[in-house]
Parts: sequence; structure tokens; C-alpha cells
Amino acid sequence: MKNNRRHTLIVCSIMGLLTLLTMALCSGIGIVRFDIHSLTESPIFWNLRLPRVVLSVIVGASLSVCGVTYQSVFRNPLTDPYVLGISSGASLGAAIAILLGLEAHLWGVGGMALATALLTIVLIFKIAGIGNRMHITTLLLTGVCLTFLITAVISLLMALHHDKMESIIFWTMGSFAAASWLDVWILLPIAIIGIVIAIYHSRDLNLLLTGSETAQSLGVEVEKVRRRLLFFTTLMVAFCVSACGVIGFVGLVVPHCVRIVCGNDNRRLVPYSIFVGAIFLLLCDTAARTLIPPNELPVGSLTSLIGAPMFIYLLYKSKRKI
Amino acid sequence: MINISHLSYSFGKKEILSDISMSIEEGSFHAILGANGCGKTTLLRCISNLLPVDKGQITIDNRNVQEYGARMLARKIALVPQRPAFDLEFSAFETVLMGRNPYQRHLQNESQQDWDIVEQCMKQTNTWHLRLAMPSQMSGGELQRVMIARALAQKTPILLLDEPTSSLDIEHQLEIMRLLKTINAEEGKTILIVVHDLNLALRYCPNTILLHNKKIFFQGPTSVALSPQNVKEAFHVDTRIIDNHIIVE
Repeated sequence: MKNNRRHTLIVCSIMGLLTLLTMALCSGIGIVRFDIHSLTESPIFWNLRLPRVVLSVIVGASLSVCGVTYQSVFRNPLTDPYVLGISSGASLGAAIAILLGLEAHLWGVGGMALATALLTIVLIFKIAGIGNRMHITTLLLTGVCLTFLITAVISLLMALHHDKMESIIFWTMGSFAAASWLDVWILLPIAIIGIVIAIYHSRDLNLLLTGSETAQSLGVEVEKVRRRLLFFTTLMVAFCVSACGVIGFVGLVVPHCVRIVCGNDNRRLVPYSIFVGAIFLLLCDTAARTLIPPNELPVGSLTSLIGAPMFIYLLYKSKRKI
Repeated sequence: MINISHLSYSFGKKEILSDISMSIEEGSFHAILGANGCGKTTLLRCISNLLPVDKGQITIDNRNVQEYGARMLARKIALVPQRPAFDLEFSAFETVLMGRNPYQRHLQNESQQDWDIVEQCMKQTNTWHLRLAMPSQMSGGELQRVMIARALAQKTPILLLDEPTSSLDIEHQLEIMRLLKTINAEEGKTILIVVHDLNLALRYCPNTILLHNKKIFFQGPTSVALSPQNVKEAFHVDTRIIDNHIIVE
């Protein structure tokens, strides 16, 4: 019951080591096999496989932390960037950036993705918010409808621009196949900033779960904290999406599994989700590229295959509350 | 301690409170009474700055509540909300521990002092045996007492309670009122409580603020405030006082 920070740190270090071990193992698995000697010289390993492994770890950690944060901010265990339509919102921005020819610019795709993702959040608040409260059903429905709308717009854009179809499809499906070190270097600082801010506010996240008025009267500057958290998590989502497309349900599956083991205290939930999320997405991506060689499965469909049934299960379980 | 001058509050175009002025002494115990929808809850929420006032001003210790910031204000005022939330995901102990939030820095562990205060407040409210229970496992009365324990853990000079007795049976109603009376007498906490039961107010609260028609109809000793004429005016009910009890005709 006592929140022991030392305990949390020890568990985190063990999980960190476990993550590194999984990374080492997963970078050894693949269609092209290496022995230890050729490893250090192989460009396939250094320029293709390693950035892919590192990127999937960063994205997995980021999306999980975003999921935990959204679940507290929206006071709903069923939310994550994908379910709320924020990932789709970001993919619309990415698609527009490609059509505008901003692909080559370092921050072009991510910036556009951020703009449309923030717009999506504003829309969610406008549509589903009643004052400070948000009804769980309305919130989920809003997310689903926004996803429909955005998917329709993206299909339309694709139909009008056949030449760019391939690269837009990539963004809507989600894949790490095109991972590069450049993606890693752009995403890493953003993920670190976002995760640090979520950890810094982890006790505020607990209080936000009790409702915005209670949180306010217990000393949380609710509006300020909520805005800050939403901005930085959305920043993470936007840049994750611009690096690897829409990968659904990671932010739902990972926090839920951690919750089962360690409870709802965000001071443990946030740090543990980082590592569990990293390992989860890394394993999913490794499975995606090795299950049916030489073909590759879209990793987004793998995570949805796990996440969607879990979402349905959670929805079924919380039916009484709705 | 609390000074309110020319406070008006409206939801949209509907005015809830109109030109209210009053001052509340340190260490006093006030009941806030009035018919449904007369702005009792709104008044409490204005004082605790959950609803930022635009007309008039509210000061606590000569400082405007809007200048405090949430954290410092939470060290001055604790609020027990009207409806206890049953859907919380935290145990009673964790819930009460949240009352220590205004004193903790980010990323800081709870201190031994925090644990001691939480234990003391839970024992005071007779909830210590429930410390591991989740809200769904508690009755309305138990949850209400946990909420009061959380407010006590804030260690504030002012305690605001919004109908804390409404979901309780008669035994627990009396228990809560006795507890508040003790806290008021021993710790000198300033207490403002919204109640519906006139007799509870008469028995436990020395002073009353009677709201009627968006304004303060009467502020003063409860026995005077709840005279048959005043009750008739504010609640449209005929009453008599027999043996210090209000009897509805």
C-alpha cells in the first residue's frame, strides 16, 4: 500500500534490463541471419534492423504513456490515442503533408500531424464535453465517428492523388518497415520530454481520476495541468504517427495489463507502462516481420488483433457503469 | 476569516446568487439553509473558487481567493462534495492520502507525517477499519465519512461540507454532526455546512445563514434564524418550535 519510490525504481531497472535483453534478441531474429563476426559490419543490421528495433521500442513506450495519460485525463479506462481518433487525426495531417510535398522536410510531416491531432482533441472536447464532464459513451462515439470521418477524407485524398497512394496507405496501416536512424533521432527527444512530463504529473493524474472539481479542491491547477498533459501526449502521438503510421490499441492494451498487476496508482502505472509498452510493440513488430517470410504483416493489424478483443472485453465489463 | 462582498453569480443568463455580502468569523460553525435551488451549493463552490466569481469578491484572511492558486487555497479550504463518487479506483486509504496533496511536491514520497495524519483522520471519522476497501465495497455513509476524512487530512482552517448527511441514516447523521461539532470545538476549525434537516441545524450549528431569493435572508444564531416566520418565508411551511424542536404543522 505504501508508495515506495525505491521499490518502483528497482522494478523499473529490472524491466529496463529486460527491455534491453529483448532488443538484443529481437535484433538477432530475422530473415537475414548474422553471426557475431559479420554483425558489426553488416549494413543490414546497422541501417535497417537496429533502427527498426529502437524505433518500435520508443513508439511502444510513447503510445503506452499516452494511453495512461488519456485514461486519467478523460477519466475513462477505455480511451487511448487510437480509440479517440487522435492517431487518425495525426495521420490526416501526415497525408496532407505528403500531398503538399513536405515529405522531405524534417519537421513537415510531424508538424502537420501535430496540427491535425490537436484539432481532433479540440473537436472531441467541443463535441463530447458537457461543461467539465464527459459522458463515457459520448466520448467513445465521438472518437469512432471522427475516425470514420478522417478515414473518409484520407480515402478521398488518395483517390485524387493516385501517385502518392502507396505512401499514404503506409500511414494509415502502420509499419516500421521504413524505420531509419533519422526517425529515431527526431522521435527520441520528443518521447523523453513527453514521458518525463507524464511522470512528473503522475500524482496529478491520480487526482484527475477523481474528477476535475475534486482535483482542483485538492490543489491541482486542473486546466493548466490538463492542457499541458494533452499537448505533450498529442505531440508524442503526432510524431509517432509520422514516423510509423497509425498503430492501434497499444495505449489500451499495455496500461490495462499493468493495471491488473500493480493497480491504478499512476506513480507506478506510468513508469511500468513505458517498459511493458516498449517490449510489447517490439515483440509485435518482430512477429510482424518474421511470421510469414518473406512477406511482412502490417504491425498495426497485429496490435489491433490483440487490442480490439480486449477493448470489447473492457466495454462488456464496464457495461453496468455506462 | 471569510469575507464576501457584493457577490453575484449567474449560470448563463440565470442569476443564482445576487449581491451577497457577509463575513464569517474564525472558529464559527454555520449551517447554510435554504430551499432547493436557492444557491447553497453555488455559494460553497464560489468560496472554494471552483466557480470563479466575476461580480463581487471573496477574500480569505484578507486575500482574494482567486489570487491563492489551487495549491495554496487547498491548504486553506477543504470541500466535501455533495455526491460521493462511487466509481473511484482507489482504496479508502489512498483516497484519504490524496488530502495530503497540497503539501507534497511533485515526485515526492509521502512522509511519515503524512501517514500519521491520514491514520489519525481515519480513526477520527471511524473509517480506519475500511482502509483497504474500494469505494464499490462501501456503503454511502462509509464513503461519505471517507470523504470527510480526506478533507480533514488537508489540515485546513476552513471546512466546507455540501449536504454531507443527505445519504446517511439517522445514526450516522448524528455521528457526523457530533464529529463536526467536536472538530469545531477542539481544533477551532471554521465550518460551513449545507444541510436540509432544520432540526439537525438547530441542534448542532450555533449559527445559520438562511438563503432565500438569491440573497441572504438571515444570518445569525440558528434559533433566531429558524423562527416560524423565517421558515414560513424561506420554505413556505408552517412550523412551531416545541422543546427546541421544529415541528411541521
